[in-house]
Amino acid sequence: MPKKPQYDEPLFAELPEWADVKPVEQYEGVNPVAPIFYTPEYTDATNYFRAIVQSGEKSARVLDLTENIIRQNPAHYSAWQYRYETLIALLPTPTPSSHPLLTAEVELMDELAVLFLKTYQVWHHRRLLVQITREPQRELAFIKKGLEADSKNYHTWSYRQWILGFFGGKGSISKDGDEEIDEDLWASELDFVDVLLANDVRNNSAWHHRFFVVWACGVREGEEDRDRVLKRELIYSKQSISLAPSNPSAWNYLRGILTHTHTPFPLVSTFAQAYAYPRDPQASDKQREIVDLENPLPSDTAELPCAEAMEFLADAWESEGGQDKIEAAVKMWTSLANERDVMRKKYWEHRIRDAHVALRGELKKKAA
Amino acid sequence: MRPRTTNDGFPTSTSRSQAETEEVLLAHIPDLEAEVQRKSILEKKIHMSFLVRNLVQGFPERYISQDASQPWLLFWTVQAFSVLQVALDPGNKQKIIDKVLAWQHPNGGFGGGPGQAAHLLPTYASVCILAIAGRPGPRGGWDQIDREKMYKFFMSLKQNDGSFLVAHHSEVDVRGIYCLLTVATLLDLLTPELVQGTASFVASCQTYEGGFASSSHPSYSLSGSLLPPPAARPPLGEAHGGYTFCALASWVLLQPYLALSDEKPSIDMSNLLRWLVHMQGTSIELGGFKGRTNKLVDGCYSWWCGGSFALLEALGVGGIQNANSDEVPIDSGAGNAIWDDVDDGLYNRMALQEYIIYAGQHPTGGLRDKPPKNADAYHTLYCLSGLSSAQHHVFPSQLRKQQLLEAWQASGVTNDELRKRSFNEILSWTEEEGASHIFGGPENRLNATHPVTNLTMTHTESMTAHFYGQVVPPRQRSAPATAGAAGA
Repeated sequence: MPKKPQYDEPLFAELPEWADVKPVEQYEGVNPVAPIFYTPEYTDATNYFRAIVQSGEKSARVLDLTENIIRQNPAHYSAWQYRYETLIALLPTPTPSSHPLLTAEVELMDELAVLFLKTYQVWHHRRLLVQITREPQRELAFIKKGLEADSKNYHTWSYRQWILGFFGGKGSISKDGDEEIDEDLWASELDFVDVLLANDVRNNSAWHHRFFVVWACGVREGEEDRDRVLKRELIYSKQSISLAPSNPSAWNYLRGILTHTHTPFPLVSTFAQAYAYPRDPQASDKQREIVDLENPLPSDTAELPCAEAMEFLADAWESEGGQDKIEAAVKMWTSLANERDVMRKKYWEHRIRDAHVALRGELKKKAA
Repeated sequence: MRPRTTNDGFPTSTSRSQAETEEVLLAHIPDLEAEVQRKSILEKKIHMSFLVRNLVQGFPERYISQDASQPWLLFWTVQAFSVLQVALDPGNKQKIIDKVLAWQHPNGGFGGGPGQAAHLLPTYASVCILAIAGRPGPRGGWDQIDREKMYKFFMSLKQNDGSFLVAHHSEVDVRGIYCLLTVATLLDLLTPELVQGTASFVASCQTYEGGFASSSHPSYSLSGSLLPPPAARPPLGEAHGGYTFCALASWVLLQPYLALSDEKPSIDMSNLLRWLVHMQGTSIELGGFKGRTNKLVDGCYSWWCGGSFALLEALGVGGIQNANSDEVPIDSGAGNAIWDDVDDGLYNRMALQEYIIYAGQHPTGGLRDKPPKNADAYHTLYCLSGLSSAQHHVFPSQLRKQQLLEAWQASGVTNDELRKRSFNEILSWTEEEGASHIFGGPENRLNATHPVTNLTMTHTESMTAHFYGQVVPPRQRSAPATAGAAGA
């Protein structure tokens, strides 16, 4: 829970060191509709803030004032913005990467990020700071703790990805303007994702991060053999699907890597077949004797048929084309539309229409 | 029959919170015929009192957290009135205009409150409030917007990669781009210089799932020249409903510029459509939308995701005008020929309305994320806008485009072609007569909202006409779009 402002502290209006500043009320000569009922502490601090913005003062006491406002309202982006400008003004030029002011600021941010996890500004201010301190490793460790508290926090994840991209991406630019690839930053990233997905195989943020690490942000050292990486990732996604087949995150990842590597969907049709139909009790015992690592079977508790597998198979068939495959795909979409996934009926019908139009075009071409 | 989402005998924290939510939602599904009648009502009166309370009395102390979003609080409130077909009286309008003008920054743009720094998000909200409550002339708000300084403010946020900071020293994300493009379109500020490279940036935010992320890397740190390929440009964060709406609406707003330029970035439309339809929850989730894969349904995505389908139609996906005239009716075997329903859209519009009516309404007024949460100003608007968009079919009409084109008065400005196209596109959106599907009966009808601006059509039209100095031809009652017109 956010820390309550300390009400026993005096107002800025009562402090002698602020006596030289004339506070500025928010609305002068305007009787505002839809007012917010402010606390006296908030009104006091923001009155002084407006005065400081007008005068342009950038001094140490401005750091106190903006911290006070931020603690009461962490989304006050103007207070953050002005705080950053003040900090830069107080640091020597050129800006050093370490300084007592910076250290204090980073420590304060550690405290505030935990308190106000869902605020854009706390994460953005960290970005600005880390570009000065250039200590990304420390940030990765910090974010890891944050994700333990909230494993799907959008800001936390995008900040982690920004850190990796900025300090460790191929072609990222170092302070001196040289190319810099900090491979160490990436060293434990895949393990990190593995742990999160082992905790919750349905965590879509973690799946997205996996895609970011393996595919979207350059090639890591030791990952240059892309065929081997693809094979590894295919097995990883299939095994994840076999644990809990009705998991759109895992299927989306599987589709994503096939598309990204231009691998045709039909290459995975055999795997999807086992998930796309109702369980066949007679066949399953026999099948189970053969352990096929490339095509793991659904777990015993899995609910079949799995809509994601049906959709995948239909897409694979459609991509192959030809009357038989299109008809099979249409049959699958029809079954999704009418039984397994009725909510998306309109979409499945749209797919059927498109496929028929394409097929007719194909046949016309042949006839011509 | 509303089957629960399976956990495949493999529970995790995601499946547990999903199951808890389904439990709560299940309790909101009426099971008796009499109950269906009573519960299918959009309680307009109590939502009105909720909104009036916020407008007249104000917001309680906990809203201090939104003190830097004062324009948003007011926009959510007054636009909710518009959607509910309620007009403001002149006295309140003037008070609103005066308040908005107190947010204008001396160097251009609007801030989150008086004395706050200019920021793209409150700039959108402020201009939209003025579209609703303002007028031309002294104290009317419209002519007091400093457009020249606003343009300079926009340009000062522009990055080398075509993106924009949301404010100085702040982050880059597609929300800011949507806000900037909407305002620039309404106020006639679009230039090639302003939007050069922006479409490529937006395209780079599409993830492998098909939806869009907040931003992509490198985002704002490009003080030097652009990184040469093959520098990767990965999206930061996963596909998300709010960012997807903003990216897609930006894409629509950038079409007039793209048609005239050599830039040819592209997005994967079929993957986007697939992702969007999969955001709609199943029947046990009452057909509400979620904002990310494997997350929970939330009323606000009724607009961000549900509202995105109209935008897709402008890009050639779905809707009768995009249907192939060569098609034959196809029967999926469920009884009804699909052809008759083709204009219903690509998602389940009726089910989404059920979610908002059954689960989105708070018993004491206002709308919400989901039960048992409280109502708030944000969810009240986006539930209502989403409901409106599910009720009506609003589409870019070729007929209307033609009328606007004929009425266009050329000027000697260098950007005249871009101006003309932007003006035509934004005002071509038309509600299809007789194509509304209103769950719960005609009393639940809301005003149609503009799929890009989320203002009413009238407010969008008046403001745009004023700033472009054009006379908008009166709307003829449009004939329902028919299959016959589609091939034209």
